[in-house]
Amino acid sequence: MNTPHPGHRATTAVLAAALALLVAATGCSAKADGGSGGQDADGVRTGPGVSAETIRLGALTDLTGPYATLGKSIVQAQQMWADETNAAGGICGRKVEITVKDHGYDVQRAVAAYADISPDVVALPQVIGSPVVAALLDDVQRDHLLTFPQAWAASLLGKESVQVVGTTYDLDMIAAVDFLTRTRGVRKGDTIGHVYFEGDYGANALEGSSWAARKAGVKVVGQKIKATDTDLSAQVSALRKEGVKAILISAGPAQTASLVGVAASRGLRVPVVSSAPGFAPQLMKTPAAPALAALLHVVSSAPAVSSELPGVRRMVTAYRKKYAGSPVDSGVLSGYNAAQLLGAGLKKACAAGSLAREDVVKAHRAQENADTGLGVPQDFSDVDRPASLSTYVLKPDAKALGGLVGAEEAHRIPGAEEYLKARRS
Amino acid sequence: MSDRRPRTPVRTLLIALVLCVPPFYLDAFWLRVGLFSVAAAIGAVGLSLLSGTAGQLSLGHAFFLAVGAYGYTWLAGEPGPGLPTAVAAVLAVLLAGAAGGLFSPVAGRVRGIYLGVATLALVFLGHHVLLTADSVTGGFNGRSVPPLRLGGFGFTAGEPELTVLGVPFGAEERLWYLALALLGLTWFTARGLLRSRPGRALAALRDSETAAAVLGVDVARHRAAAFVVSSMYAGTAGVLLALAFRRIVPDYFSLALSVDYLAMIVLGGLGSVAGATAGAVFVTALPLLLSRYADQLPLVAAPGTADGAVGPTEAARFLYGAAVVVVLLHAPDGLHGLTRRLRDRFRAARRSGPGSGPHARPSAPPIAPVRPEEHTP
Amino acid sequence: MTGLLDDLLGGLALGAVYALVALGFVVIFKASGVLSFAHGSLLLFGGYLIAVLHDDLGFAGALAVAVLATALLAGALDRLLLQRGDPGPGAAHVQTIVTIGVDIVLLTELSRRIGGDLLPLGDPWGDAVTGLGPVTVADSRLAAIVVSAVSIASVFALFRYTRWGLSLRAAGEDVEAAALMGVRLSRVRTLAWCLAGGLAALAAVFLAAFPAPGLERTTGQIALKAFPAAVLGGMASPVGALAGSLLIGLTEALVAGHQSELSLLGEGFADVAPYAVMVLVLLVRPTGLFGTRGAARV
Repeated sequence: MNTPHPGHRATTAVLAAALALLVAATGCSAKADGGSGGQDADGVRTGPGVSAETIRLGALTDLTGPYATLGKSIVQAQQMWADETNAAGGICGRKVEITVKDHGYDVQRAVAAYADISPDVVALPQVIGSPVVAALLDDVQRDHLLTFPQAWAASLLGKESVQVVGTTYDLDMIAAVDFLTRTRGVRKGDTIGHVYFEGDYGANALEGSSWAARKAGVKVVGQKIKATDTDLSAQVSALRKEGVKAILISAGPAQTASLVGVAASRGLRVPVVSSAPGFAPQLMKTPAAPALAALLHVVSSAPAVSSELPGVRRMVTAYRKKYAGSPVDSGVLSGYNAAQLLGAGLKKACAAGSLAREDVVKAHRAQENADTGLGVPQDFSDVDRPASLSTYVLKPDAKALGGLVGAEEAHRIPGAEEYLKARRS
Repeated sequence: MSDRRPRTPVRTLLIALVLCVPPFYLDAFWLRVGLFSVAAAIGAVGLSLLSGTAGQLSLGHAFFLAVGAYGYTWLAGEPGPGLPTAVAAVLAVLLAGAAGGLFSPVAGRVRGIYLGVATLALVFLGHHVLLTADSVTGGFNGRSVPPLRLGGFGFTAGEPELTVLGVPFGAEERLWYLALALLGLTWFTARGLLRSRPGRALAALRDSETAAAVLGVDVARHRAAAFVVSSMYAGTAGVLLALAFRRIVPDYFSLALSVDYLAMIVLGGLGSVAGATAGAVFVTALPLLLSRYADQLPLVAAPGTADGAVGPTEAARFLYGAAVVVVLLHAPDGLHGLTRRLRDRFRAARRSGPGSGPHARPSAPPIAPVRPEEHTP
Repeated sequence: MTGLLDDLLGGLALGAVYALVALGFVVIFKASGVLSFAHGSLLLFGGYLIAVLHDDLGFAGALAVAVLATALLAGALDRLLLQRGDPGPGAAHVQTIVTIGVDIVLLTELSRRIGGDLLPLGDPWGDAVTGLGPVTVADSRLAAIVVSAVSIASVFALFRYTRWGLSLRAAGEDVEAAALMGVRLSRVRTLAWCLAGGLAALAAVFLAAFPAPGLERTTGQIALKAFPAAVLGGMASPVGALAGSLLIGLTEALVAGHQSELSLLGEGFADVAPYAVMVLVLLVRPTGLFGTRGAARV
């Protein structure tokens, strides 16, 4: 090995040549071109995701994981919005296109998909999955990408580019406690139970219920569960032991069905109030349906899809025509609503002369009374406050479209202002 | 033989050189896929040492990755001691090693399938801690990962602004080189370890614990040491993953991740460093690439377009599961064994001319992946 | 007091359901030394068949078809895939990992079909409950207790009194000697897998029945909780599987029932308590409560 090999010099030469070639070739790399952005012929400033003909939006959704049904509803509803918008001439003279990426509720896949689409989109009208949203928070902020997450935790507030539509989970539960004390005879000194998912959703909901209960002089007993728990017998036993007068639940549809079914069969026939994600139309086909109809209410910042609001009726009719056979659930409404709100922001940004991402966020945040006719008007101007302080109360009905009908019209949540003040300090 | 094949240092240099090029051409998506793959490769090498070489079945690798990732984030971050990031990275790796050491009372006593299920407990208990210890882990929403800084150079965009040959160097480009360096270090140490005395002692342990004990191998100490070393590689992978993710969340470190790592080393060929790397790249990159190019693939529907069709996510899962089954049944020594056999056959054919049999060298017996079964009746 | 009784009864009923799953693990492990990771998706397969068929065939018919089909699938999995591999030393571990691959494929297809739905199985118990003194328990759970007790007794008897069981035990003691004595190992093994498959389909009924709202894509994940139950019992003993399952069920119910007093461990500890118990037991008895330490072969 010590004697120089005849091939040695040749190999070195090959290596050097290869290196030189590589270095030279980088000159032609597409990455070496300067940044994008500039001004279009129509005088509108553009940025990533906007060309002279199209405005490109992105969706990071779950079509193969636990939220597959919800994901599909939202994707279809937003596609319908895009088609309608384009048929009416588009936005800013441009066609709207949505790039959909399925992450199957997998954080790594979602982060890679974000890296894939983020250079080519101007906003994200849909991001599903709390862990996914959490993992992308910093990136979305850094890229000034206006994002509508399908999650309503208060920890998502205070971020300029992240827009939670409607109320947050804590406010929903404040409304739930108010509903119980106002109409279901829960009084000072009573005990109520709160069954909640581990994670952001449950923790935030519990924060709200605890605050409201303290105000009302009611004691809250918490029961934390996991998404894989579908038999809540042990939790019901524990709550019965505490002698609860009512139960709040912030979990998934399967957990709501089990809780209400078990409680009813064990003779614990107390009112149950669920957060909006805890209900799905399929529940009304399970054995628990009669108990659900008798005991359950759902607090939601959006109306039921069976609502008589003209905007909702028009949208639902169009959706059923376009996607006959697809279930109409709350995802259809919230997806369409988010897309419409985003569209309004884009139009404002266009009018102000720029579709660059920062300016889209700015235009969006300037809206103080955005009304799509699909529920209560939203105020996006204060990043630290939920966009709405009003809520509906719904109740299950097996015959209704979407399995829910209205029980109480939209009303301001009593104590919400006070709660927000307390939370901020 | 040596004149037929470029000598190792030259070949290594060539490979290293080629690996240095991607940041000049590929966009952030590809670089992230690359970063995830390299991090997985480092972790897989660690698991390969433990399960392939030492024969201890572990389903707890995700836990040690989490210790590395969260260890770095907490040590370097606020809240936390806020140490210099380089120090935090090294400490996080040591912390992962210590976690492996703490598990040694179990690892030293429990064997085979029982050990596999016992390590399963680590993942579930670890996930529980990640969710409940809010002040350290940030709870469900996880924590932002402070970027690594070495001296005045930050592995993030703009610290300092850096443009090489007209290509602006952001976080991904910089991290790529860090990942390469760590991968090189992993390969160097792991191969050294395999050839060393302790490495051979571990292999002897896998083949027969009793025989190894007779030969003077301290069984309990070596079993525990294998866990510590493997966890340190997992910790390194965790730190790199954290840097690539920029924000870490507990849900990532699930049982599915542990299973993925097991699949990586099995697909690659147990006990081989090159195999573990190949397996890691396959398992990590496949689903990411399939979902990106879904619309150009036949039989795979773009997301949200058709009812009841197989989407890219599902296609990736099918391929992945089928690959595990097929490789294990038809090539139990994995990709590594497959390439070795192909190479041997190719060489033999060249040496002895066409027509003669390919069996110039008997192919290596398939590596017994884990210690022979000790049945409990 | 009622509270404690409630917890105990709930834990017992939960343990009975775990036992059906754990028993499948034990049968497979005893016959082949394999820890089947595909058990969860086999269970889901059986449940899915019942859900799809019960409208046309009635619950009993659907159940019979599902038990048979799942048994066949499990047997085919063993015969066509697992036994194809290299039978040398360490084969059981290779086959264990093959079951991971099988699980991924099966689970992906079943999840794709089930989607986000909750499928009712049409079982006869509905949401009926029976009062036992001061406490009540769901009828479906009483049925689970009966069915799992009968299953475990039958498997125990099969092991002990039939030719098949004798062959199985002989193979468990010494594979080569058993082969010399004329035991047809591969058939003995495949039958064991079929039995485990049937048990998985049976377990699916009770996992999707009343206290749970129906069959979901995640129903099979219960298998992950039966792992510690089977390991606690010693992997190779049906009685051990029962003991382990009851221990796990009781632990879970008691921890959930006393969540407020155990807040030091973090809320939601009930879900991970089985694993903590398992690690503690393994520290003391590395081969489980009823396992015997295999003599090391040189």
